[in-house]
Amino acid sequence: MQRRSLLTASLLLPLGARVVSAAPAAEPVTTALVEAAKKEGKVTYYTAMDLSVAEPMAKAFEARYPGIKVAVERSGAERVFNRIGQEMASKIHRVDVVNSSDAAHFISWKREGWLAPYLSDEMARDLPAEMVDPDGLFCNQRTHLSTIAYNTKLIAPADAPKGFADLLDPKYAGKMVKGHPGYSGTIMTATQQISRELGWPYFEKLAKQKVLQVQSATEPPKRLEAGERAVAVDGSDYLFWLAKERGAPVELVFAVEGTPQISNPMGIFKSSPNPSAARLMVSWIMSGEGQSFIVNLSGQYPANKQVKVKPGRPALAQIKTFKEDPVAVEKQADQIKAQYAKYFKV
Amino acid sequence: MTLRAFDVSRPVLALVVALLAVMIVLPMGWLLIYAFASKDGQPTLDNFVTLFTDPSFVDPLLATLLLSVSVSGLCCLIAAPMGWLVARTDMPLARTVRTLVMASLVTPPFVGAVAWEMLAAPNSGLLNQLWRLVTGAPADEALFDIYTMEGLIFAIACYTFPYVFILVANALDRMPGELEDASSMLGAGLWATARRITIPLALPTLLAGALVAFLQALNQFGSPAILAIPAGFHTLTTKIWSLFQFPPKPELAAATSLPLLLLTVALLRTQASILGRRGYAVLGAKYGAPRLIRLGAWRWPAVALAMVVLAMPLFLPYAALINTAFSRVSSQILSPETFTLHNVVFTFWQLSSTMPALKNTFLLATATATLGGVLALLIAYIVARQAMVGHRLLAFLATSPLAIPGIVLGVGLFLAYTRPPLTLYGTLWILLIAFITVEMPAAYQQLGSAFHSVHPELEEAGRMLGASRLRTLMDITAPLLRSAAIATWCFVFVGVIRELSAAVILFTSETKVLSVLIFDLKESGDVGAIAVLSLTMVVLTTVVIIIANRIGGPREARVPTRVGA
Amino acid sequence: MASVELKGLGKRYGDAVAVDNVSLLIGHGQLVCLLGPSGCGKTTTLRLIAGFIEPSAGEIAVGSKVLSTPQRTVPPEGRNMSMIFQSYALWPHMTVAENVAYGLRIRKMDKATIESKLQAILSTTHLEALAERYPGELSGGQQQRVSLARALVVEPETLLLDEPLSNLDANLREEMRFEIRRLHDRYRYTTVYVTHDQSEAMTTADQIAVMNLGRIEQLGTPKEIYDQPRSVFVARFIGGSNILTGKAVDAGHVSVTGATLATTGRALTTGETVSVSIRQHEIAIATAKPAADNLLHAVVSRQVFLGAARDYTAVLDDKTEVRVTAPPIQDIAPGQEVWLRLPAERCRALTGGIEG
Repeated sequence: MQRRSLLTASLLLPLGARVVSAAPAAEPVTTALVEAAKKEGKVTYYTAMDLSVAEPMAKAFEARYPGIKVAVERSGAERVFNRIGQEMASKIHRVDVVNSSDAAHFISWKREGWLAPYLSDEMARDLPAEMVDPDGLFCNQRTHLSTIAYNTKLIAPADAPKGFADLLDPKYAGKMVKGHPGYSGTIMTATQQISRELGWPYFEKLAKQKVLQVQSATEPPKRLEAGERAVAVDGSDYLFWLAKERGAPVELVFAVEGTPQISNPMGIFKSSPNPSAARLMVSWIMSGEGQSFIVNLSGQYPANKQVKVKPGRPALAQIKTFKEDPVAVEKQADQIKAQYAKYFKV
Repeated sequence: MTLRAFDVSRPVLALVVALLAVMIVLPMGWLLIYAFASKDGQPTLDNFVTLFTDPSFVDPLLATLLLSVSVSGLCCLIAAPMGWLVARTDMPLARTVRTLVMASLVTPPFVGAVAWEMLAAPNSGLLNQLWRLVTGAPADEALFDIYTMEGLIFAIACYTFPYVFILVANALDRMPGELEDASSMLGAGLWATARRITIPLALPTLLAGALVAFLQALNQFGSPAILAIPAGFHTLTTKIWSLFQFPPKPELAAATSLPLLLLTVALLRTQASILGRRGYAVLGAKYGAPRLIRLGAWRWPAVALAMVVLAMPLFLPYAALINTAFSRVSSQILSPETFTLHNVVFTFWQLSSTMPALKNTFLLATATATLGGVLALLIAYIVARQAMVGHRLLAFLATSPLAIPGIVLGVGLFLAYTRPPLTLYGTLWILLIAFITVEMPAAYQQLGSAFHSVHPELEEAGRMLGASRLRTLMDITAPLLRSAAIATWCFVFVGVIRELSAAVILFTSETKVLSVLIFDLKESGDVGAIAVLSLTMVVLTTVVIIIANRIGGPREARVPTRVGA
Repeated sequence: MASVELKGLGKRYGDAVAVDNVSLLIGHGQLVCLLGPSGCGKTTTLRLIAGFIEPSAGEIAVGSKVLSTPQRTVPPEGRNMSMIFQSYALWPHMTVAENVAYGLRIRKMDKATIESKLQAILSTTHLEALAERYPGELSGGQQQRVSLARALVVEPETLLLDEPLSNLDANLREEMRFEIRRLHDRYRYTTVYVTHDQSEAMTTADQIAVMNLGRIEQLGTPKEIYDQPRSVFVARFIGGSNILTGKAVDAGHVSVTGATLATTGRALTTGETVSVSIRQHEIAIATAKPAADNLLHAVVSRQVFLGAARDYTAVLDDKTEVRVTAPPIQDIAPGQEVWLRLPAERCRALTGGIEG
């Protein structure tokens, strides 16, 4: 229910917040753009999306516009952020399109002036206003959740946790896996929300439960499916769903306290070496076609209002979610990492 | 009559020294500067205060010491009896065992660590599943837990004991049988001879091996990153690496590197002094071939023991990798029903990093083996023939990277080459420099000893007959060094493919290598792709080694090993 | 072919002097031995001539061409010299024929020429049957001959030999001495031969230069070196000499343990300490005092029967030991008093102190 969060975040930017927004004029996807993109022949896409979604999406784009190769550069959102920082500092310009599961990163990049505005006419038409940066520097590509989940072979539904508080029960000690906010934007965003809602002492107690500490929010679903741990404290909901739909003994839990919600903004770098291909890719991903592809493949929540939620998945409105607050995440990120490392030792 | 028109030795020396300075002196210099600087560049000792008081630094330091001591001890416990069985007894298949131990070195330790996760993760691990199946133990009981300090010690020891084994086996090979015979003649039994003669004589080598193992464990990055972090602890190397994550703290990383650097230097000095002592000299002397001890009824149990040991770095991990490569979930046992090419298709047809990483890796491995080999050859030549003033300095510089852990070198190179005048960060060059530096000591030592086996008069004879220095090198020295050069080339090639710790600091998206890609995939839990990539890497490496040896092989047969006096 | 001339040649490594002001003219077609103990500078001198090292002082000329000065040195490959190495330095990856023909190939000769020259030298050195063998398959003597063949086939202006026989056993060594001399007589290359073995030098050389501490102590024919050593060092190094020390009483007489000996060799200064050398077999030993000059009184301390001779050790009054080689028929028991007669023309007054 917190769809307005991104817009709010942008408006609350310390600088330029009250300046009349300079939204770029919407551009049609012209043959000239496609030709220019093909001439560039490639586009580099930095993302935190799981490879099982990102690579097929890239291949679908390549199939739609033959002659353009997509290089998918996937890592945890926090790693991507760090890498881009290092590359920019060393004047290495490789990233064309960037997509992060930590919306706070876009606040930082916008402030640095690294992003290029872009809005296709389809985006202007089909994206709700709260999904787009007022200056047109980025838009929300999709939204997903970080949910609790459990392995039904290892835990009977009756014994399953109902929410975060249950996870502190000694019976789950040594049986949980969770991602790391220093690596994953999903976990970073979720950690900010949980610490706000439940307080840091919650994590202090959770850290004593002998949690298997993995890095990416995409790994707990894989560990759960393999049966390595019975309960996932967090992780990308769409991967739990996909495993469940594949017949794996995985069940999602929407915590009674609320479920962290994560928007995944996407933008184009000013220094992009392939600006036309970058624009073409963004326009395609945000188009009905691109959004449908993501939804059909993974069941994440689309930003494009023409595209419906995947059948069988609950609508966002039905889920009690925490409020997303990228501005707070941006301010607190270093402190969150330090606090987390203090409790979890890594 | 050609007069010495141009003395090439000065420019060559200057060039080589400049190269080595670029590779070693500059990065280490920046490391020192950073270690003693605050965030805004003021001189300070604060970094060291943090290092020795903040528990988040002290704990990794202690964990690293515990890890290294344990790995070292465990390696000796495994390697000494194995080496003895292979070198001094009539155990069947001794040659095969030797070859297999060597072959296990082709496996990058971090791949081994991932494989051991598949085998010994407490719940999903295949060995634990088997154990529960056999004993009927409940689902949450486990025989092994790889996510512990013990698990990490074991996983690192698996890929470290071969170094100790090779040292011990080679030393025992050279140990004169007469020494043992003499003891037997005096009426000492088998065991008494072993205890009083064999073991004391092999002890210096074993001690040196223990130090090698200690250093390996100390400087290992991949395995702790894969096994220690999930278990909730850091070692020094993973701590240094974590300091490079956002927000990067290079000063603290540099300060943390220094104890690692100093400890390594100190241990290397200890090792040199141990190997320099009498024990080794005796072992190096030429006597009759060693007498093999008859194991009698114990022959086949000995083989079984050796195979069990070999299962740890070799059979089990590769079985697990193959299982994972063709399964949807790594905890499933491969069967006709579960067989899938999903991971293969994903890795080669969908994962867009696969091909660039393979290309980068093999390009860098080839370039490092070739350029690094040539540089090492040049240095070895200059030093062995004392061809110019300053050759001692060269020898020192060429061996000094031995004392620089990969991750420390990575940090140093990062600090040195993310700034003008040489902004190499983001190019393959910085990785090439890192790899050449990492491999230089081994390459130089191998080629140096090869040069010592080529008598200088062989080259002088060529020059007296009118061949230039270069011509002599090509016609005479090069063919004689051929087999050593090829062995060195292969050694460096494999070394580059295995390298993770420097690369993980220095790579950028465009310069990703296989080891880093595997590490990236590890962090997102994509073990299927890791299995496929690891197996591909091992197969390709093996093919390259075979080809390299083919190219250099046939001539060897007819070259006599010794000539003249 | 031409002469080789060393003029004031010097080589120092830091403070250490390896070769000190050596001047030597080796006539065209001559074989000169540089003879001396290890560390005397003979090998350094040879390597200077070969061009492997550059002189610190002086120059080396072949004929009218100056090859080495401290400023510039023609590299070894530009000197048209050949060298026989102590280790033979045969290339183990080449056959005998390939080894021998290497210098010809470097000189870019055509195939036919190479083949005929190769056959000729292989025949001269009795190696035809071994042409396709690898050096590792040859005996030491055969390897030595290959090394000779390889050096000679290129028809060098100058031939250098560095302890060529030191790796052979005694019998073979003797045989190869004559072989080297035979080949030298046949080709008459200007040759410099380095050895520490004086009998090797005696049998092969036209001239011997005895070297010590980087300097040439004495240059002369084998006979001159043997019969007329000029310094204590040469006398000792060539061997078989007794060295007596005394004080000069005038230009031609030395007082040794109270007796006066007439000497030859050089004019003495009255009062100087002089070393006098005389060979063992030049001393006559007698139990009765003969009616002659140049007599020394001694006591026999030891006697060894050698078959062809008897070897006596006699102790002079000042406890100096003197060795005497006498005919076997003369049997004198240890402890007996004897008179030693030292012919004046054999008593050579040496230069250099008693330390030598």
